[in-house]
Amino acid sequence: MSTPAAQHAPGLAPADGVAARARGLTKAYGSGETTVLALDSVDVDVVRGRFTAVMGPSGSGKSTLMHCLAGLDTVSAGQVWLGDTEITGLKDRELTRLRRDRIGFMFQSFNLIPTLNALENITLPMDIAGHKPDGKWLDRVIDTLGLRDRLRHRPSQLSGGQQQRVACARALASRPELIFADEPTGNLDSRAGLEVLGFLREAVDRLGQTVVMVTHDPGAAAHSDLVLFLGDGRIVDEMRQPTAETVLERMKRFDVIRGRSEDPPGSPGPPGES
Amino acid sequence: MLKATLRTFLAHKGRLLLSALAVLLSVAFVAGSLIFSDTVSRTFDRLFASTAADVTVSPKEGLDEAVPSGRTATLPAALAGRVRRVDGVAAARAEVDVDGLTVVDEDNEPVGPTTGAPTLGTAWNPGERSPVELTSGHAPRGPGQALLDSETAGRKDVRLGDVLTVIAPPGSFRVRVVGIVTFTTTNPGSARVFFDGPTARTKLLGDPRAATGIAADAAEGVSDQQVKQRVAAALGPHSYDFRTADEQAESDVERLGGFLDVIKYVMVGFAGIAVLVGVFLIVNTFSMLIAQRTRELGLLRALGADRRQIRRSVLTEALLLGLIGSTLGLAAGIGLAAGLIELMGLVGMNIDADEMAIGRQTPVAAYAVGLGVTFVAAYLPARRAAGVSPMAALSDAEVAGAGRPLRTRAVAGAVVAAAGAAALAGCAVSERTSSAASLLGLGVVLTLIATVIAGPLLVRPVIRVLGSAFPALFGPVGRMSQRNALRNPRRTGATAAALMVGIALVGGMSVASASMNRSFDRQIDKTLGADFVIQNGNFLPFPREVTDEVRGTEGVGLVVRGRFAPVAVRLPDGDRVETTAGGYDPRLDEVADITYTQGDTAAALADGRLAMDRDFARDHDVRVGGAIPVEFQGGRRAELTVGALTDQDSAEGFGTQGGLYFGLATLERYAPGGQDSALYVNAAPGTGDDDLRADLEETLDPYPQVQVRDLADYKQLVHDQIAVLLYLVYALLGLAIIIAVLGVVNTLALSVVERTREIGLLRAIGLARRQLRRMIRLESVVIAVFGAVLGLGLGLVWGVCTQQVLALQDMGALAIPWGTIVAVVIGSAAVGVVAALLPALRASRMNVLAAIAHE
Repeated sequence: MSTPAAQHAPGLAPADGVAARARGLTKAYGSGETTVLALDSVDVDVVRGRFTAVMGPSGSGKSTLMHCLAGLDTVSAGQVWLGDTEITGLKDRELTRLRRDRIGFMFQSFNLIPTLNALENITLPMDIAGHKPDGKWLDRVIDTLGLRDRLRHRPSQLSGGQQQRVACARALASRPELIFADEPTGNLDSRAGLEVLGFLREAVDRLGQTVVMVTHDPGAAAHSDLVLFLGDGRIVDEMRQPTAETVLERMKRFDVIRGRSEDPPGSPGPPGES
Repeated sequence: MLKATLRTFLAHKGRLLLSALAVLLSVAFVAGSLIFSDTVSRTFDRLFASTAADVTVSPKEGLDEAVPSGRTATLPAALAGRVRRVDGVAAARAEVDVDGLTVVDEDNEPVGPTTGAPTLGTAWNPGERSPVELTSGHAPRGPGQALLDSETAGRKDVRLGDVLTVIAPPGSFRVRVVGIVTFTTTNPGSARVFFDGPTARTKLLGDPRAATGIAADAAEGVSDQQVKQRVAAALGPHSYDFRTADEQAESDVERLGGFLDVIKYVMVGFAGIAVLVGVFLIVNTFSMLIAQRTRELGLLRALGADRRQIRRSVLTEALLLGLIGSTLGLAAGIGLAAGLIELMGLVGMNIDADEMAIGRQTPVAAYAVGLGVTFVAAYLPARRAAGVSPMAALSDAEVAGAGRPLRTRAVAGAVVAAAGAAALAGCAVSERTSSAASLLGLGVVLTLIATVIAGPLLVRPVIRVLGSAFPALFGPVGRMSQRNALRNPRRTGATAAALMVGIALVGGMSVASASMNRSFDRQIDKTLGADFVIQNGNFLPFPREVTDEVRGTEGVGLVVRGRFAPVAVRLPDGDRVETTAGGYDPRLDEVADITYTQGDTAAALADGRLAMDRDFARDHDVRVGGAIPVEFQGGRRAELTVGALTDQDSAEGFGTQGGLYFGLATLERYAPGGQDSALYVNAAPGTGDDDLRADLEETLDPYPQVQVRDLADYKQLVHDQIAVLLYLVYALLGLAIIIAVLGVVNTLALSVVERTREIGLLRAIGLARRQLRRMIRLESVVIAVFGAVLGLGLGLVWGVCTQQVLALQDMGALAIPWGTIVAVVIGSAAVGVVAALLPALRASRMNVLAAIAHE
């Protein structure tokens, strides 16, 4: 059932390697008879310089997959690499440093520290690390996201879309190997959502970043290069150069399958899903 | 609604824990002090009631001895015979009971207590009224034998057959311990020695026919009152004091009362501090809980709960908290009282903890304080909760309260601060001690209230300055902690206020005491001209034998004796003033520099003359040459002529109002039998100070109660006396700090809960656990230091104003103890670090994913 994404993207610009990789990634909640498999022996390669979307119905394990790839959550079995570093088995301190230096994050909501202004929020991961931000790059990111005249504003003075753009800038600012975005448009209206997706797209195309986005919105997924479909903790399909319509069609088939082979009533979905 | 209230209370019980602890501490001190003082007074009531004779005849004493004069009042022992013949008296005996003895062992080490508790010498008179019984050895027979109480014997390892030296007013004598007695009642901390009757009379009183009192037993069927009246009639009602057993017990308790009152006031002080600081903690807890529950309260309102119901719900929660805190506090108070009783045992006062007296007023007071404090503290937050709009349930507002304008506070704070400043300014310019002191008190209270009200307004400017170095020193962690402290000024202000109260108190007291020290130093430098002062460490008088020995020491040139005596003077303006006067030898000028505005030392100390302070004289229309009727202890009266007026520093201190003194010969004439309290010694020409000191110390070796002091030692002695007061304040501060730390812990812990998602985000984007802990620690430090700075500022103002009041008492020097101030600031930072330990640990243990998903 494994689907190494790299081999399925021949139509795209040549990939120059793998940003993150998982082999036999399994995540189980509970124990004994009540064990729920959120991820069931997943193999996945995230190609560098691509925009990958992860889709699936609620409870399919898409958020868990992202958390495990990002070193936020521990795995029950299997291995995860970020670049050449195996992150499974790392201690908290090493994981923290890894997230700080090599990964960028965007969340659905509450993305910013309310006491810091936009610029301070953007440079926070580097400040924490004690690194000096790369001025040229930072300027480019800020200009790309159109935040130049908002830098001294506190989050409470920004609109939701602006806040998410600041979060996007923060994720990009340290030029991480990989950016994880967890439903980044979930709390935004459609215009602001489109804006943010456009920026993520630009980050990949113009800035050469690697983005993994978890979403349940086919329109959002359409902005990606590759969509991975998760179902019941496994990667069940993938789609290159997706459009909103094709993704929606594919998602509908989930519902059909679901409708036909409904799970026994009362079986709980894995926790940790948003 | 009640069900919802109970549910909420139980749901938040962890968060209310520290508030309950604050209530507990307040109540514990209130209950503990009540139980302790009840127990102690009951114990002493019983002790004195059981040891007092049915009727006691004692010498008439008109005046209180604010400063001990060393006189022992006596009456003829033969009176016992006359009393015995009175109808209704079954038995009467002459008693000898002398305090202020010093007993030393063969190494000249004191056997009795050195803390100021007396060593009592008594004629052995076994019987049911005796507080002791002989448990080993035999009764004393003859001048060389004595009994010692078992507690003292045990403490100093004195055994039967050991030889002790008793230093009594008439002179020292040696005795062999022939028996040990054991207390059958509580011992109030004294050491007891017993001699046979003749020995007690001759050796303790210096008069074989004297006694200190006559104890009479009433015959069967005659009341104490009747016997007292008959004895008084037989001896002449105005000749002596007559007391029934009840009256005697009452007067004994009263004599001890001062000491008991001190303990009571100290405990009340602790309770007060605990209540005051506890209020801040509770206010803050409820404010924060309500802020966090804004949406929930909004939902209740949206579902139809009216404002009153919401308010009542919060107040019910507070009362539940108060009830639990009071109950636990009452229990803790019992424990505290038991601990105090135990502690009293260590200093020699054995009170039976089993007889602990819990009066009816104790639980009443405990619950009144506990419920009252929580109710008052929760009232404002409850009103705020009632003000939550139903819209709050729907909106996504962060935390209510953070952004509300502080304008009302600014106005109220400014008004109260202006009133306080006016009071303090009035105090500073006031000429009269009494009005200055009351203005000081008013100013202190008002400025404290103003600072508490305006505290949140000061948060931004002060913490901006305090934390300005943080971003540079600690990077983004420092910046975030500084901003977090600024986030909710009300919360930071109230948290810091708890610490501020204690530190302001200490700041003020340490400025006042440092100023007093410096004033006394200056005064000692200015007035004390003697090479050495010989004195008892507790300022108690000592036997004349010591004076004789000092006079006989080689190298001593001049000895000027100083003695104190209680007197009552009738002044020209009609006032009768009871005070303590000094008596000095004529060559006073050679050992002291006294500034006279009229007359001189010779005129002051001449026979039948008297000197007093210029200001006192002016206030009472006294003029040089005028005659002042003076009443001495023992009832003798004299008319003394004012010979000189002086300009003395601190003339009013230590119960010596008016700075009265006269020649020692005058004193000896009207109140004979006193003991010297100080000897001012100058070296003979050609004798070095070091040699003289060595010789004097050798001379005084058998008298461990007195010490030789030069100028520096003398200053130290005065400093030590002032330090005792300061230690008490430090103990109060300790308690205030404990509660304030609870407050900081509380605020931080609740803040951490409130910021769960934020912390999760920080952790997700790479903030290490260590950095997170540091962030919370720095926030805690900045809050604590803010409280300390505010407190010190307030304390300095108080201290300077207090010094202005002291200056009216001619203690004019101002000293700011910078060392203490720096130590307090550093200490407060340490307090912040300690307070942050648990909240920081908790924050760093949070699961990152759960934190992000936290609602």
